[in-house]
Amino acid sequence: MGKKVAIIGTGQTNHCSSREDVNEMELVYEAAAAALKDAEMTIAEIDAVVLANMELFEGRALHDMWCGEGGGAFMKHSFKISTGGTSGTSGAISGYYHAASGLFDRVMVVGFEKHSDGNTLAGMALTDPFWDRHVAAAAIGNFALSVSEYMADRGVTEEQSAKVAVKARRNACNNPHAHLQMPDLTVKKVLESPVLAYPVHRLEMCPQSDGACAIIFASEEIAKKRCPRPAWVRAAVTRHDHIYLGEVKNRLATMRSLKEAAKVAYETVGIKEPLKEFDVAEIYDPLTYAEIAWYEALGFCEDGEGGKLIDDGITHMDGELPVNPSGGVISTNPVGASGTIRVAEAALQIHGKGGKRQIPDVSLALATGYGVYCWSDVLILSSKPD
Amino acid sequence: MKRNVEKEELLRIPIHMKLHYRFPAGAHYERFFRELKKTGKIMGIKCPECERVLVPPRPVCGECFTRTEEWVQVGPKGTVVAYTSIYFPFIDGATGKPRPIPYGAGLIQLDGAFSAINHILEEGDPDNLHIGMRVEAVLKKEREGNIGDILYFKTIGE
Repeated sequence: MGKKVAIIGTGQTNHCSSREDVNEMELVYEAAAAALKDAEMTIAEIDAVVLANMELFEGRALHDMWCGEGGGAFMKHSFKISTGGTSGTSGAISGYYHAASGLFDRVMVVGFEKHSDGNTLAGMALTDPFWDRHVAAAAIGNFALSVSEYMADRGVTEEQSAKVAVKARRNACNNPHAHLQMPDLTVKKVLESPVLAYPVHRLEMCPQSDGACAIIFASEEIAKKRCPRPAWVRAAVTRHDHIYLGEVKNRLATMRSLKEAAKVAYETVGIKEPLKEFDVAEIYDPLTYAEIAWYEALGFCEDGEGGKLIDDGITHMDGELPVNPSGGVISTNPVGASGTIRVAEAALQIHGKGGKRQIPDVSLALATGYGVYCWSDVLILSSKPD
Repeated sequence: MKRNVEKEELLRIPIHMKLHYRFPAGAHYERFFRELKKTGKIMGIKCPECERVLVPPRPVCGECFTRTEEWVQVGPKGTVVAYTSIYFPFIDGATGKPRPIPYGAGLIQLDGAFSAINHILEEGDPDNLHIGMRVEAVLKKEREGNIGDILYFKTIGE
C-alpha cells in the first residue's frame, strides 16, 4: 500500500471547439497556472510534473518538448503518459503513484489536447498497419458495432440513449468550462440529428474540443497543512483488455477491463453498494450508449437495468447518484485532458468548489477513464484519508 | 492576455505532410498474407494453452502469454456478430482518402475462429442487417498479399 495522497488543487481552461487565440503551450500553461492558484502554490514548490496527451491528433510528436515548460516541467522530474482516451486518467494515476511512493511530495498532472490543430480522423486511422488500418472505421464506427451487440443483448433503446445526451448537455449548462451547453436539447432533437454510423446519431457522440486540465497531488502532511478539505485518493486501478476489437466478445455488455478495475477499487475501499455509497460519479462517456453500459459494468445496477437508471432519473443531478454533473465527455472532449477532467471534477465536488454543478455534501466520489477499444481506469476519491 | 479572435488577424502556419513508412510484418502475418495471396485461404492460429483460434494471427496469445504456432484454416463463411452502416466519410487508413458512403461494416466471426474480424459488408442498409446473418468473404482476383485482398463479405442465404 502506498502513502496517503490527496488532490489539493485543480484548474481547467474553458473548453471549446477551437482556441485559435493560443498555441498548445499556452493552453497547458492556463490550466497549470489555474491549478497552482487553486492550491495556493508556486511552481517552485512542485517536485514532479506528469503530462498526458493523445499523440498524433495534433500531427506533432513529443508534446512534452513543445508544451512541457508551459506545464512547469523545466528542470523537474517529468514524464508523459499517452494511452488514448485513458491518457488523462492514467496521467492522474501516475501523478498519484509518484506521490504515493513517498519520493515526491507535490506532483502536478496536466492533461491536454488541441484537436483544432490537427486531424483527429487521421490520428484515429494510424492504428495497426497490417489489419486495422484497412478495416476499422474510426471511433464512431467501432462504437456503432458494439452498440448493435449491446442493444441486442440488453434491450437498451434509442430513447434511453438520447436521454443521456439531454442530461449531459443540460448539466453542462451549470459548468462554465463545458464545451457543448444545450439547455433546450430534447430527446426528439437528439434522434433527429444525422446518423453518423447506424444507430449512432451525431448528438449521441462526444465532440472534439481544445482544452487542458491540471491537478495537484500532495503527500499527507502537505495536504493537511495546505487544503481545508483534501480529496484523498483511496484507490487507483488500470486494466487493459485485448488490442483487437473482434477478440473482445460483446464489448459494451461485458467491459471486462472496467468491471475488473472497479472490483479491485471497490474491494480496496470496502464499497459494496456503489449506487448508495458514492455521492457523485464522473465517468468517461465517449457516447451515450457507453454511459448506460458503464452503469452496469460499474455495478450501479444489474446487467440490463442501465436504461432504467436514466429513465428513472437516478443519475440526474437530483437523483440518488448524480453522474457527470460537469456534462461529461459527451459535452467536453479534449481527449488527453478528458480523463484528467473526470478526476478534477470528482475532486472539485469533494473540495466543495463545484459552483452551480456542486452536489451537496460529497464525501465519496468515483472517476473513470476509457480508452482505445477497451482500456479502463478507475479512481475513488474521499473526504476521509482512511 | 485576452485576444479578440474576431477582429485580430491570426497567424496560422499550414503544413502538409507526405510521409512514407514500411512495416516488417513478422513471420505470422507473412504466412497469413502469403497464403491469402497464393491460395485464397484464410488462416487462423491456435493457442496451445487456451485453444482459442485467433484471426488476425497473433504471435503471442494475450490471455496466456504463450507463443502460438498451430495454423488452422477458417472461413471463408462466417456469422455477423455486430454491424453498422457508416454515413460519415471516415478516412481509409490504407489510402488516406475517405471511403464512399454509405457502406456496411461488421464484426464477422469466421467459421472455426474464436475472434471476429472487423470488415466491410456488401449489404449497407441497416434494415437488411442483423446479428447472426451469414456472410462469405469475397476475394480480389489479382491478390497482393494484404488484408485488402478480402474485398468485403457478401450476404449468403443460410
